Amino acid sequence: MSATTTSPAAMRLPPWLSDRAFVIISRLLALIILVVVLSLISPHFLSWNNLINVFRQASVQFVMAAGLTLVVLAGGIDLSVGAVLGLAGCLAASLINGGDVALGVLVALSVGLGCGLVNGALVTLVRIPSFMATYGMLWIAQGLAVIFMKGDTVYGLTAGFRTIATGFFLGIPIPIWIGLALMLLLHGILHTTVLGRSIYAIGGNPAAARLSGMPVRFRLIAVYGLSGLLSGFAALVVIARINSADSSLGDELLLPAIAAVCLGGTSLFGGVGGIVGTAVGSVILAIILNGMNLLGVQTYWQSAMTGGIILLSVLADQIGGARLNRQS
Amino acid sequence: MDRRTFVKHALATTSLTALGAMSKTGPALAQSKPLTVAFFVKNLVNPNWKFAKIGAEKAAKELGGVILEHVAPTKPDNIEEQTRLVEDWLVKKPDGFVFVPVDFKALTPTMQKALDAKMPTTIYSNNMAELKGALTYVGSDDEVIGYEVSKFLFQKLGGKGKVLHIDGVPAAITAQERKKGFERALKEFSGIELLASQPGMYRRQPAVQVMENLVQRFPQIDAVVCANDDMAVGVVEALESAGRGGKTLVVGIDVIPDAVAMIKSGKLLASADYSLHDQAYLATTALVKHLRGEKVPSKLILPVKIATKDNIAFWEKSPDERPTPVWAQVVAAQKA
Repeated sequence: MSATTTSPAAMRLPPWLSDRAFVIISRLLALIILVVVLSLISPHFLSWNNLINVFRQASVQFVMAAGLTLVVLAGGIDLSVGAVLGLAGCLAASLINGGDVALGVLVALSVGLGCGLVNGALVTLVRIPSFMATYGMLWIAQGLAVIFMKGDTVYGLTAGFRTIATGFFLGIPIPIWIGLALMLLLHGILHTTVLGRSIYAIGGNPAAARLSGMPVRFRLIAVYGLSGLLSGFAALVVIARINSADSSLGDELLLPAIAAVCLGGTSLFGGVGGIVGTAVGSVILAIILNGMNLLGVQTYWQSAMTGGIILLSVLADQIGGARLNRQS
Repeated sequence: MDRRTFVKHALATTSLTALGAMSKTGPALAQSKPLTVAFFVKNLVNPNWKFAKIGAEKAAKELGGVILEHVAPTKPDNIEEQTRLVEDWLVKKPDGFVFVPVDFKALTPTMQKALDAKMPTTIYSNNMAELKGALTYVGSDDEVIGYEVSKFLFQKLGGKGKVLHIDGVPAAITAQERKKGFERALKEFSGIELLASQPGMYRRQPAVQVMENLVQRFPQIDAVVCANDDMAVGVVEALESAGRGGKTLVVGIDVIPDAVAMIKSGKLLASADYSLHDQAYLATTALVKHLRGEKVPSKLILPVKIATKDNIAFWEKSPDERPTPVWAQVVAAQKA
């Protein structure tokens, strides 16, 4: 979609640089600045172990933000990602804790997919704006998790299952492999399949997509379903990582996911951005937290600093202007 | 595991929404004029508030003729929602409130309105110092809990070592007080060096992440003091996955079930008991006693209990089986 746009910004860019590439490059630049600054002020930052550590944390964040990216690209928003993750995680942890690993995995994925499909149906068939439909789903999923857990915490999952978060393959933590594989898979889907290209088309101009004869409703339901499925998958990674689940599992996961998507240069207006950007955004988020911990920034300052760094990083992108001009 | 069979059942009937928990039976007491008590908690998420509910229910049952209404915000620790709940319950006019503020300052004006409207109220867990007219405050002091658990740890270290502190939610009064207690203990032990104090937000996942990062910076960490057990358990997990399990002593606060298991297996050194079970029991008892014409003291401060491998058996009992404190003994202990 973005390749066909003839915005003033795109024209100002050199011909070899598409605005999609420009977005990725500007995000990478923000990342590189962060890395350089941190490695200058903290001797621990550039160690192999710490980098592995940052990428592991970023991978978990990326898995949580991946589904959301697809919905945002299609011009919608999925506010239920964190809550659906929480519900799927609670159900799965209870089953896995009792020894039913395969069933637990299946339940997490199907609950995620189910919630996502309901979101999609509400948005396309009932025509509730995605903001409201998924906001309702947020409350429902969170409520069901509270009812189901009754204030309990499930603790202690089987070691075999936990490998997906704690294991290593070729010296690299498995979550990093999972993140990489997911990134390549979704990148492939977005740029080589009909569904992927329709996501950009619908996000860029829904009316044009409909008029061109595209089955917009069906494709959108698929996108929301995919987002839910990925939330269910993320739930598995998260519970394996923290070896437990309680009904608050999904709280406070939504906004970092949105931040990762935006930091990655995906426009909240739809149609512009991509999954690689979200991966970069996730790394930026992980580095901000890691850096503050390594530097020993005081607890009271951390939230404000996180916000400041996020804004500064996005600001660099806005000054570049590609997105700003395209939206106007 | 009943939850597991429940899921299977729900799957079989393909109806996840038909949740059995809805069939909770209300208390039905056969007394002529039962008292209705609105019992507040901060959330439905942390197991401690479940223990609190169990404690209050025991009091209601022992005293007889009390209907306990469980009042909890759906959003954990949400100030706005608890404010609405107080206002709603004031309209419903129960015989009294057993109240814990999700934020002791933010809820003061709303609760003052309730007290000015002559609603008999006992406060538990978090004191509301500026509130005028509450019957009793029942609590353990957060500063003392932080102090006692830190002191216990520093003595175990022989008064020497490098320690980390993992903070709770910076805005929460409990987190600030617990940290103050930690700092007081730190001053008393000149051989203890504070490496860093970083936020874990009272939750496991942020604590895991923060600890993973701190392990990178500090090659030697002798001990970690965590402002609650959820974070302590996360810290132990992070140390283990970094291959540094067993080399660092970790303590927490609250004695949640996960922590009990870890103390038993030696992964966690100790945890300090906040005993919301006891607090809620005593706060409910105080209210009912007042409503039935007895005089109750204005303050009941509970001693801090430290759970270690040696005495963990007490906490292994489910809260239903745990003994309730004896009212007369607790009142007598206040004067001493």
